[in-house]
Amino acid sequence: MDKQLDVLQGTLDMLILKAISLGPLHGYGILLRIQQISKDRLEIQQGSLYPALYRLEHQGWITSEWGESENNRKAKYYRLTAAGKRRLQSEAEKWNRMAEVIVGILHTTPEEV
Amino acid sequence: MTSLSRFRSWFRAIVRRSRMESEMEAELRFHIEAYAEDLIRSGVPRAEAMRRARLEFGGIERAKEECRDQRGVSHFETLVQDLRYGLRMLRKSPGFTAVAVGTLALGIGANTAIFSMVNSVLLRPLAYYEPQHLYVIREIIPQISKFYPSLAANLPDFRIWQKECRSFDSIGIAEPVSMDLTGAGESEEIEGVRSSANLFDVLGVRPVVGRGFLPEEDEGGHGHVVVLTDRFWRRRFDGDLSIVGKSIVLDGTPSEVVGILAAGFHFPKQIGLMTEFPDHPNFFQPLSKSRSNEQSLMGDFDFAAIGRLKPGVTREAALAELNVVQAQIAKQANQGMDLLAEIAPLEAEVVGPARRGLLFLLAAVGAVLLIVCVNLANLLLARVPGRMHEAAIRAALGATRRQLVRQLLMESMLLGLLGGTLGIWMASLGLGWLLHTAPASLPRLDEVHIDARILSFAVFISVLTSVIFGGLPAWRIAHADPQGTLKLGAAARTENSHTRGLRGWLIGLEVTLSTVLLILAGLLTTSLLHLLRVNTGFAVERVLAADIDLPPHGYSKPDARLRFYDQAVTNLRAVPGVVSAGWVSILPLKGEGGVTDVSVPGEPSRTGETPIANYRVAGPGYFQTIGIPLIAGRDFVETDRTKHVIIVSQGIAERFWPNQNPIGQICINSWGGEERNEVIGVVGDIRTVRLDKVPVLMVYTPNMFARAIPYGPQSASIVLHTTTDPAASAAAVRDVLRKLDPDVPVVALRPMTALVSQSVETRRFQMSLALIFGFCALLLASLGIFGVVAYSVEQRRHELGIRMALGAQHANVLGMVLRQGMSPVLVGLAAGIIAALFSGRLIATLLFGVGSFDPLTVACVMVVIVTVALAACWIPARRAIHVDPMVALRYE
Repeated sequence: MDKQLDVLQGTLDMLILKAISLGPLHGYGILLRIQQISKDRLEIQQGSLYPALYRLEHQGWITSEWGESENNRKAKYYRLTAAGKRRLQSEAEKWNRMAEVIVGILHTTPEEV
Repeated sequence: MTSLSRFRSWFRAIVRRSRMESEMEAELRFHIEAYAEDLIRSGVPRAEAMRRARLEFGGIERAKEECRDQRGVSHFETLVQDLRYGLRMLRKSPGFTAVAVGTLALGIGANTAIFSMVNSVLLRPLAYYEPQHLYVIREIIPQISKFYPSLAANLPDFRIWQKECRSFDSIGIAEPVSMDLTGAGESEEIEGVRSSANLFDVLGVRPVVGRGFLPEEDEGGHGHVVVLTDRFWRRRFDGDLSIVGKSIVLDGTPSEVVGILAAGFHFPKQIGLMTEFPDHPNFFQPLSKSRSNEQSLMGDFDFAAIGRLKPGVTREAALAELNVVQAQIAKQANQGMDLLAEIAPLEAEVVGPARRGLLFLLAAVGAVLLIVCVNLANLLLARVPGRMHEAAIRAALGATRRQLVRQLLMESMLLGLLGGTLGIWMASLGLGWLLHTAPASLPRLDEVHIDARILSFAVFISVLTSVIFGGLPAWRIAHADPQGTLKLGAAARTENSHTRGLRGWLIGLEVTLSTVLLILAGLLTTSLLHLLRVNTGFAVERVLAADIDLPPHGYSKPDARLRFYDQAVTNLRAVPGVVSAGWVSILPLKGEGGVTDVSVPGEPSRTGETPIANYRVAGPGYFQTIGIPLIAGRDFVETDRTKHVIIVSQGIAERFWPNQNPIGQICINSWGGEERNEVIGVVGDIRTVRLDKVPVLMVYTPNMFARAIPYGPQSASIVLHTTTDPAASAAAVRDVLRKLDPDVPVVALRPMTALVSQSVETRRFQMSLALIFGFCALLLASLGIFGVVAYSVEQRRHELGIRMALGAQHANVLGMVLRQGMSPVLVGLAAGIIAALFSGRLIATLLFGVGSFDPLTVACVMVVIVTVALAACWIPARRAIHVDPMVALRYE
């Protein structure tokens, strides 16, 4: 397995939105899902997850409600709001364009300049 | 992000804070436990799993704090936190809190109370429409301006201004009148205002019930109408609205009540120096017909004229136009006299002389507040070393400098607001007292009350003072080096020389301010004492004065008036306890009254150059009764009424007949016409106008003959010399007068001492307040000195113990403590005396008989301050010599 990468500055919010967009999750679940999708290649500081969640909720992109977890315990579940969906879309587009540009730059050979 | 969601989240965060907290707690716990369970499932032992779960999560508290920050509640939270912290700190030292809040309340309360007066009297615009456009118009006759710099307005001139002057939207005039109200109910004499019909329009007010005056009501022949003031309407007619449209009888003439003014309507008591209106006018009536004596273009300047300038017209332009009109009037009058005008803002005219005194009081009370601040800063600075240690620990635990300053300021702000709240309460109490004590001559006093503006002023000064007194100590604490402080331990708790020096300066400042206040208060006190000791020229002890105002019916003839006064005096002489009695047209100290030119045959009389004297009509026995000495000649007797004789004051005798016998000389007076009179007596000079005004020339006459209408004063005062307390005879006097004619009202009845006391009430008011403020300042300063010295003795127990153990004598230690305590006091005292030198000049106009720098006053203040300061140092210094060296050395 490759060494784990730290989440890039500013991308945690997008990752959380994406994780939740696949279905309501509690905090710990979000952490697991991101790790699962990234095939354990991303390392998320557990303590930094919650401030991000509170921020997203404060901004109205996600909403929360208490529910039962898999092992019958009370847990707070987060769901994407309509605004959140749009936000995820625009963030993803921005990210893709950015990534394209960066990849393009990195693949540049001397002959192409 | 929608603002709604943001608000909802924030709102939830505040309103349901505890629920949020517990939810956050539960959520994080769930996370850690779920992770631990996963670890356990993968084979990690339970205890180890919990430990690792917590470890990997990182700082839980930090995460929580960050979550709270994300909620946007941090500001509010910290505010609440700081507030609780501040309250806790204040509760921890109740003695300090009580002293601080108490002194603050005193300072803020006194300031708020004085400011309420200043606000109403000086700052609040007149309750008229756009009062800044209102100007008072006065007339000037250059030929007599030496004696009368300016005159009130004259009715015919006013009518010409109304027609000719384009600079004014409108011009109105008013004069005080007093009339007999008869008909239903008890008859009484009521004071009111006779005004041009447009006066209400000029002022921009209108009656709340009914109407104002119609333009044609300025002319005669339209029936008599009257508008009542709210106060009078409520008092006399119990607020009965049906009075509007009915008639009341004024001076025997039925007048229809056409309107009632608003309760808030207020007419100035004094407009300039020449026209004085009643405190509370009862009614307004239109000019109606010009009276016979109101036809002359150059005479009877009795009216206050108020004009409303047109927008955009400057004062200079208006004056220039007025002067053109005035020149035409003078030409038309053709009396060899010129006529000019002057205009002055109404507001300044109304406030006028009260301004300087009130500003002085405001400055004085401000100085007291500054002393309060300095004292509190000092108290807080004294706590700096102790707080330094605490602050160092908190800084070491991660509190930022900003947080520390914020918390310390919050503490002083809390003190300020507590003090302010208490202060507002004290202000409302103090204001009651002030209004009770304040001289009635203070304009617009009845409009003084605590309103929103006053409250915001109180809050403003509370916050301001907290920042002033809290800022310095907070800055000192926050900028201390935590490491150094912690390393020094207990040693750091003793005061460093820097702080001590600072506190010395503050004490010096307090003493300076107190010195200035006490010196100024001393000057005012000396002035009042001088004034009360001044030789008035007449007796005040055991003299009773009754003011009589004869009604027109039955007393329209001068003979009837004289007969009434003479009969009253004769009857009163028979009252037991009355030694002598007499009457005079106007009492001394009542200001200038009728005036006349005085000249002698041979010296040509030319208006503006001959001396002007005040004349009084006096009955036989007046001089003896009021104690004015008869220097030469004889008093009037009843038969003098038919002769052309006068009695003159010593001043006149010395002016015209120096080194000659004045008795038998001829004196030419011009009262309504020229008259040659023989001088039959000379009496002493008296203070006629005011207590602080040197005697003017006086002419006394038994009656006047040369006037077209023989003159007997319609109002006069009867004076009585009694054997005992004059007030005791008051009831008997009223009885006698009522028996003589029940329809004649006694307007005022009081001992002459009351008249004197009334004439100095403004000064007494200023002096009492200045003394109160001065001693408050002294008390606060001595508390400050005591605090500083006591604290420094406490801090230096260790050092003092060592000194004593090494053989220092009690006297040495005592001397050292006293020296250190007194040195800032002496510096402050010196600075205060120098400052008083300058500030004394600012109140020079308030002084009488004493220079703006009075060595005796200064010496007294020095003695008082040094004594009080020594006492304040002495108590803690005594404690210093009782330090037991062994105890002190162990004390850590």
